[in-house]
Amino acid sequence: MKGVLLSGGTGSRLRPITHTGPKQLVPVANKPVLEYAVEDLKEAGITEIGVILGHKGREEIQDLLGNGSDYGVEITYIVQGNPLGLAHAAGCAKDFVGDDDFVMYLGDNILKEGVVDLVESFESGDFGAGIALQEVDNPQQFGIADVDDQGNVTQLIEKPDEPPTNLALIGMYVFSPAVFDAIEKLEPSWRGELEITDAIQLLLEDGYAIDSHVVEGWWKDTGKPEDILEANQLVLEDKSLKKRGTIGDDATVDGRVELAESATIEDGAVVRGPVSIADGAVIKSGTYVGPYTAVGPDSTLEGVHIENSVVIGESNINTSGRIVDSLLGKGANIGSADDFLPEGRRLVVGENSQLKL
Amino acid sequence: MHIITHACTQCGTVVSANELESNRVMKCPGLDCENVLRFTDLDESDQEHFLDNKASYEL
Repeated sequence: MKGVLLSGGTGSRLRPITHTGPKQLVPVANKPVLEYAVEDLKEAGITEIGVILGHKGREEIQDLLGNGSDYGVEITYIVQGNPLGLAHAAGCAKDFVGDDDFVMYLGDNILKEGVVDLVESFESGDFGAGIALQEVDNPQQFGIADVDDQGNVTQLIEKPDEPPTNLALIGMYVFSPAVFDAIEKLEPSWRGELEITDAIQLLLEDGYAIDSHVVEGWWKDTGKPEDILEANQLVLEDKSLKKRGTIGDDATVDGRVELAESATIEDGAVVRGPVSIADGAVIKSGTYVGPYTAVGPDSTLEGVHIENSVVIGESNINTSGRIVDSLLGKGANIGSADDFLPEGRRLVVGENSQLKL
Repeated sequence: MHIITHACTQCGTVVSANELESNRVMKCPGLDCENVLRFTDLDESDQEHFLDNKASYEL
């Protein structure tokens, strides 16, 4: 079994964060989303991974993953170029995959239970493909699978008006090499892409059994800022958090807090977990860091009250204001305007930024 | 759709035909690889197929 990790796409819904890097490298609980995928594949015993690269952020992704040795895996890079759809991405991996089965994992997705059960379910029978499903409240907005009593997929329907089930495809797949023949037969859809659901439908029509695995734990597509915050909450809720950094005698630290070795919580600061504070970060006196916040590396927070937020890193936040439900890009700085006249907020805001003042 | 790729002979990095065609000549995007890749590295039949169907390999 091999792994194919999709790391292309423009990240347009995460602008301006993705103006300067790929969406797969946005951190959740101070770890790039893409690393969770590599770890999930490794956990499933998959150590040969093909990483699909698009036009954006190739070098950053290669800088992070390298040849995979830091993660105990072997990585081959596959340059897709134009984003012509998931089936095109899979097709570009044909030579890498060879005659093996493979897991296709969307690199901006994160799921609690990993892919071990999905792989085991696929390997328990003779399937052309296996798909991960999750029950959703709004099946009209998803690709939906109809399944029989044995869990075999009988039909896939894209955003149905009258959905036969509430089981949505969540972007994790296992394929046999038979999928490559199906992809060869595909034509671009109305949106100009080769759709992976069309490839699976062709496998069905060609008589292949398609396995399904219903994911019970949470799953997040981290395509939008609010998704990053929610994924950050979910990961911090589950993650084992250790305090290895320096905590001042007069600092208040409650609940579960991850404090990296070179991070500091100074006297007079209050941190209430679950929180993750990365290397080189300093939480100064008068600062409150509340639940579900991740403070990225080399950031300094002074006087601010912040909660349910992600500070990606290298930020200086020195204000008495309150920051909630926020995603702050690398190197974003926030100071105080209290002593300035005329009164008012002073902003230097990049293209596609979103502010609520 | 016939998906055409080329694997670098030195590092194994795979590059799609649309990427090769748009660059014509490119340094291999593999890690620390100095190999030079060309659209003409593809089989002649693949080159011909790609150029005959170029529109379908674009957005």
